[in-house]
Amino acid sequence: MKLRKILATVVGTVQTSIGVLAVILVYILYFNSFGLREWLNVTEEFLPLQMLVLIVFGFFSILSGSILVREEDSGS
Amino acid sequence: MGEKGLKRELGLLQATMMGIGGALSAGVFVTLGYAATLAGTALIIAMILCGIINLFTMLSYAELGAAIPSAGGEYTFAKASFSGFLSFATGWFEWISNMFYAAFCAVGFGCLISYIFPIVNIPLVAVITVAIFTLINIKGTKETGLTQTVLMIILLALLGVFIFWGLLTSQGTGTLELKAPEGFLGVLRATAFIFVVYLGGEAIAVAQAEIRDPGKNVPRAILLTCLALIFIYTTTAYVIFKIVTPESLAGQASPLAYVAEQFLGPLGVGIITIAGIIAALTSINTSVMANSRVAYALARDGYFPKSLFTLHRRFHTPFIAILVGSVFTAALAATGIVSFVTYATDFGFIIGFIFVNLSLIKLRRDKPNLPRPFKVPLYPLTPILGVLASLLLIFFLEPSTFLIGIGLFIFGLIAYHIRMVGYYRICLAIGGTNLGISAFLALFAYLIASNSLPIMLPENMASVLFDVTVFVSVVCLIAGLLNITRKSEG
Repeated sequence: MKLRKILATVVGTVQTSIGVLAVILVYILYFNSFGLREWLNVTEEFLPLQMLVLIVFGFFSILSGSILVREEDSGS
Repeated sequence: MGEKGLKRELGLLQATMMGIGGALSAGVFVTLGYAATLAGTALIIAMILCGIINLFTMLSYAELGAAIPSAGGEYTFAKASFSGFLSFATGWFEWISNMFYAAFCAVGFGCLISYIFPIVNIPLVAVITVAIFTLINIKGTKETGLTQTVLMIILLALLGVFIFWGLLTSQGTGTLELKAPEGFLGVLRATAFIFVVYLGGEAIAVAQAEIRDPGKNVPRAILLTCLALIFIYTTTAYVIFKIVTPESLAGQASPLAYVAEQFLGPLGVGIITIAGIIAALTSINTSVMANSRVAYALARDGYFPKSLFTLHRRFHTPFIAILVGSVFTAALAATGIVSFVTYATDFGFIIGFIFVNLSLIKLRRDKPNLPRPFKVPLYPLTPILGVLASLLLIFFLEPSTFLIGIGLFIFGLIAYHIRMVGYYRICLAIGGTNLGISAFLALFAYLIASNSLPIMLPENMASVLFDVTVFVSVVCLIAGLLNITRKSEG
């Protein structure tokens, strides 16, 4: 159970971080900071769709990661 | 003491000021121009029509508020009559609408301040304003009511100067002959457009658990608010068309300031700008109070986390509910997106209106013996007209309002099910979704590796994207397995 607890905490933290990064990426894409759109070949046509996918994925990852971390915290 | 430690500290005057302040927002200072182009001088008729439509529903608020004087307003009424998802949806829309309304007014306040001091950062001013009113609301209901009363007295005095000076002056090029350039349809469209200036008065019902002698004071405060608003708006429209023509208002950023300038000079612009600033502040104050009481009531009934149903030991205010609502409000205000916020506010308030009228009809049938210190006259005609008028208003709103409303409804549905289906089943659902995402990302990584993607990627980017996709896929796989293999709490 201890291994599961450590794994869940690590994976939960990583997944939450991935979610936060995805949301930050949306912000950078929206404002086209650092010329990211050109670097990623993102066209104006597909930008809203890609932002939507990233937002949904980002918030889902934060939720899923938080549940994993919370479960192990409350279980200890 | 009111409900579970909430103090009954608001008298008739403070409750009425809460209602008028909730409705008299900065919106009235900017929306009149476009409404005048739709209805011409018949905007006066539109104002009275709006007031009557508002009165239909406010009579329902008055009856239900006096009969069920618990925190939560529309939500509490819907809970008593429908319960289940319908009551949750009413509370959900009410909670969101009040947060959005506070954010809208905070941004409006920032805009008005930037008009005087152009160097200020509008979102920053909006966030600071929300923070100040959060502290006032946490400090106590009495302080909130006192702040509201003082601000409202100043605001009403400023509007009084505008109205009475306007009525007495011999200046002006306007005409008082009622003319609607687009006919009666134009008057109806103006009615739907201008109706937002009457929204917000129902804050009295939301805070009814903190009003002294609710059986008498709640209906009186609601009816006084309605009549005061009809008087203020109608006389304001009358003064406007006495001074200027409707055509001259088109394109004016602040139509009221423009009119005031015509007969009061720069002093008039100053008076109206200060009045606009105070109107925005009173609306923020009311909305912060209203959204926290709805969240408090939703937590009381188990729809929101129990921590929101916590009162401050010293101040006896639902401080966690106030803080949570204010964080969301500040985040919305920081975006500075006004149009989205306005649409969401309108939709939420109108949905609330519909449910209040339906609740009244259902409660009269299901609980005929419920003590009702105040009864709606001409029942059932009045609540039916209230429902029909609200439905009519929805159809006259911008089409994007529907989309935003549907989006908010879906969020509400998700929140309801997350709360109702149980934590273990949610974990299973999240675990399953994680496995699905993992499989999808694995397929995506395969397409990158085999160069089969429909878009061309630079070689170094393809390599980075492949590594990232594989990594995220593995994380989702492990997270999914951990979620679906957890033990049931039951």
